[in-house]
Amino acid sequence: MSVQEFLWAYMWAVLLLTLGVALYGVIARPNLLKKIIALTVLGDAVNVMVVLIGYRFTYPVAPPILPSLSRDALGAFLSSAVDPLPQALVITAVVIGMAVNMLLAILTVQLYRLYGTLDVREIARRGGGE
Amino acid sequence: MDAVGLTPIIPLLFAFALPLTSILIKGNRRVVQAYALLGTGLTLISSFALFQRAYSSDSPLIYTFGKWVAPIGIIYEVDRLGALMALVTAFLMFVIAVYSYRYLEGESGLEWYYTLYLGLEAGLLGVVLTGDAFNLFVMIEVTSIASYALVAFYRGRRDAVHAALKYAFIGAIGTTMYFLALGILYGAFGTVNFADLSAKIHDIPFPVSGNPVGEVVLASGIVLALATWAFLIKAAIFPNHFWLPEAHPAAPSPISAVLSGLVVNVGIYSLMRFLYTVYGGELVPGLERVVGGVAAVLVALGAVSALFGALMMNAQRDVKKMIAYSTIMHMGYLAMVVGAGTQLAMQAAIFHMINHAIAKVLLFLAAGAFIHAAGSRDIGDLTGLGRRMPVATFGLSVATLSLVGIPPFNVFFSKVLLFDAMMERSLALAMVIVLSSVIALVAYMRVLYRIWLGKPREDITVGEHASMAFVLLLLSAAVVLMGLAAPLLLQHYVDPAAAQMMDYRAYIKAAVEYASALFS
Repeated sequence: MSVQEFLWAYMWAVLLLTLGVALYGVIARPNLLKKIIALTVLGDAVNVMVVLIGYRFTYPVAPPILPSLSRDALGAFLSSAVDPLPQALVITAVVIGMAVNMLLAILTVQLYRLYGTLDVREIARRGGGE
Repeated sequence: MDAVGLTPIIPLLFAFALPLTSILIKGNRRVVQAYALLGTGLTLISSFALFQRAYSSDSPLIYTFGKWVAPIGIIYEVDRLGALMALVTAFLMFVIAVYSYRYLEGESGLEWYYTLYLGLEAGLLGVVLTGDAFNLFVMIEVTSIASYALVAFYRGRRDAVHAALKYAFIGAIGTTMYFLALGILYGAFGTVNFADLSAKIHDIPFPVSGNPVGEVVLASGIVLALATWAFLIKAAIFPNHFWLPEAHPAAPSPISAVLSGLVVNVGIYSLMRFLYTVYGGELVPGLERVVGGVAAVLVALGAVSALFGALMMNAQRDVKKMIAYSTIMHMGYLAMVVGAGTQLAMQAAIFHMINHAIAKVLLFLAAGAFIHAAGSRDIGDLTGLGRRMPVATFGLSVATLSLVGIPPFNVFFSKVLLFDAMMERSLALAMVIVLSSVIALVAYMRVLYRIWLGKPREDITVGEHASMAFVLLLLSAAVVLMGLAAPLLLQHYVDPAAAQMMDYRAYIKAAVEYASALFS
């Protein structure tokens, strides 16, 4: 296994681990603020994964910009450039993720005003009712 | 092809322009209401034009944004199922907008309500019209964010904010998982367009994009597992249902109607697209095992959901919570038939999705009329109101009788279809539908009896507003007429929609022809 392959596998292992930790955080942590942090970590882990899917296993990697408008340059370009489409997908997902996190943060602030706590166990004990 | 692209854009423009407009008109409620009616009304006209065009054309309609064809740009591809769902969505959103004005007369912030409401409509229409898996993700998120915010509309109430947070957390996990599925899908197939994906899976040539590069079977397995999980969260199928009985009742009643009637359909519709447009028909053996496994899981979870929802309906004191559990039951039926996957099952799924949407909207709006009068969701506080509010009682009776499946009403006919479709699979599954209907009947009758014949409270002055009564009568008429005309509807609208949805070759061909016409 070359150094690159090792780093590649290592990267995926770390990402999967992050995904697991983030899922644990969202589901099992009692503090709502920590749940939101875990949710952003989850979103970011998935975003990095999707960017990695478009990654080219070559070195050095050229940015996806066509050097000159000729067929020869195109062939060389296609064999070295990374795929920009996953990055385009991710930038959309980042924007959407921001909207969701913003809404969650506002709702959490509102919940704190109403209950005076962010601990979901405490909130469940008092009941969801008026 | 203007109607295709225009339909989701009208509510989107109206939604974005509303906050600015409301400053100009200084938040005048009447103007805001007129604005919302104009927005939803124009959308209804546009979706009706789209519906007529889809049914007069033999192949699915294509709309490209700025002439960027299939695998390169995002396209809208509308088959008859999509057009039919768009029409039902636009119609219900319009009548619910009519109803909302009176229901929210005591609340401030009508302009923010309608901003989110129109955004929600844009998302719902985008989901049913899109021909691209990534655009589906965006549209599901648009729908979801508007729903989360609308659930928390009563921002001073503890239960509303708590339910919205719960809904938002589980929804955000689901959509994140769907996004991961899209990344894997793109990594394996090099495309996220439905027609292109289907062409790659069925080995049909498609312009521009090359051959799949990854492990198709393994990738499909992961993708389907993640995407199905996400859609089951959106459709509230057991064991991902737990957010629904809190979120739907906590919202204002018109929004409960939208959530229970239309938003949950997003999950079922997306599942149908994935399982029958993308992974439909003849497959290589490895893929067939994967898809068969997903379908079996859907049937099993659907059956559990149906029984669970029916049983929990009987344990509720809150009338809206009871209706919310009934939604879980009906979504269970839909998951079962989507898993069964025959032509008959698809007809049953499409017809039941439409019938359930209309009947459930009517039920929530009728219950909302009582809640609006009594100021409480507890069944005990609603007793005896029925005789003072005849129109609402009529709507409530029609909706409950329809939803349990009493013959002249519309849901009876789709339940017969559901029963037939499940009989092809096994008797036990068909009995699940009968059994859960009977259990649900008990719960419905208990509520209807208390509201109609219970001893009335003296301290409530009730009146029925004309606009609310009109909507209830209109929807009751729709429920009855759709029941009486069920054979005609099935023959002319539902069967062609099911046939076209199962025909993935025509779906691919439409996209390929449009693309190659532009390249040549």
